[in-house]
Amino acid sequence: MGVTLKRILVIDDAATVRLYHRGILEAAGFAVSEAINGLEALERVAEAPFDLYVVDINMPKLDGYGFLRELRSKDIPQAPAIMVSTEAAANDQKLAYVSGANLYLIKPVRPERLLAHVLTLLGLSVAPRDPHQGRHQ
Amino acid sequence: MALKKAAAQATTTDDERQRDRDLDGLVLALADADPLARRWAARDLVAYPTATTALIAQLMVESEPSVMEVILTTLTRIGDEQAVIGLVQCLRSEDAMLRNAAIEAMKLLPDEVAPMMGRLLADADPDVRIFAVNVLESLRHPQVENWLLRVITDDAHINVCATAVDLLGEVGSEVAVPALRALKQRFTEEPYIQFAADLALKRIAAG
Repeated sequence: MGVTLKRILVIDDAATVRLYHRGILEAAGFAVSEAINGLEALERVAEAPFDLYVVDINMPKLDGYGFLRELRSKDIPQAPAIMVSTEAAANDQKLAYVSGANLYLIKPVRPERLLAHVLTLLGLSVAPRDPHQGRHQ
Repeated sequence: MALKKAAAQATTTDDERQRDRDLDGLVLALADADPLARRWAARDLVAYPTATTALIAQLMVESEPSVMEVILTTLTRIGDEQAVIGLVQCLRSEDAMLRNAAIEAMKLLPDEVAPMMGRLLADADPDVRIFAVNVLESLRHPQVENWLLRVITDDAHINVCATAVDLLGEVGSEVAVPALRALKQRFTEEPYIQFAADLALKRIAAG
């Protein structure tokens, strides 16, 4: 009672990736929303800012870098962002941090790794719920 | 606002009057400092298929999204082999916006892209192979499932396979089932591949 779930926005144009990340985060007790590109993500943010963002780089309409730049320019409560991409190039990582990412992870991200980083960035010592009780698969 | 619009239109009209609309004049205008002039040049170059090289060169350095969009539209309308080769070049760019725009443009050219797909899926750069799979997403071509099956069977890079599995879940048929099961065996320790392959198998079973 009275406990507010931390809200996380997963932004990726691949439906399977969104489902995968959503499953991991919901099993750990987070409220997860999805967006299929940066533009849709900005619309979600306009409705209500989130506590954390998990952002892909390559997406049509507005990519992950563009989304983060727009997000960071807004006069709203800012939240950490994890950029998740298939690209390991140093330049992509640099650009991610310059755009406003707090962390850059290379896909595919193992569930325990994603969760550990999410908890750290949210300043939590444990997940709101034991992820092993409700994990997909 | 209305004034700004009127001024912009006047600039465009003046530009059209001042510059020759032949190939040389348009190629020159393509590098103009004024984005409006560049946009009009890119639009009018559709009449000159030999302008593909100039369009691609400008695309690689273009910073204005609206001009980039018109260049891509012109390239897809020209739609010849040179245009596709230029778009493939864009897949190697470090500019994510340009890469994504090239992917979207290539999806519109199935017949022209198809002969290059085998080479793209065998490219030495795994990122290019991933972008090639991204192109397959909306490429209306009868070979799409076969290309994806080849990827999940032969490609050693997990993210290339992962991208192909995502798509197989949408376009795959019963034919894909053995290859998906074999992929799960190949990446037994990778939770994402297990998740994505199971999802694809479930979707295929559901028809």
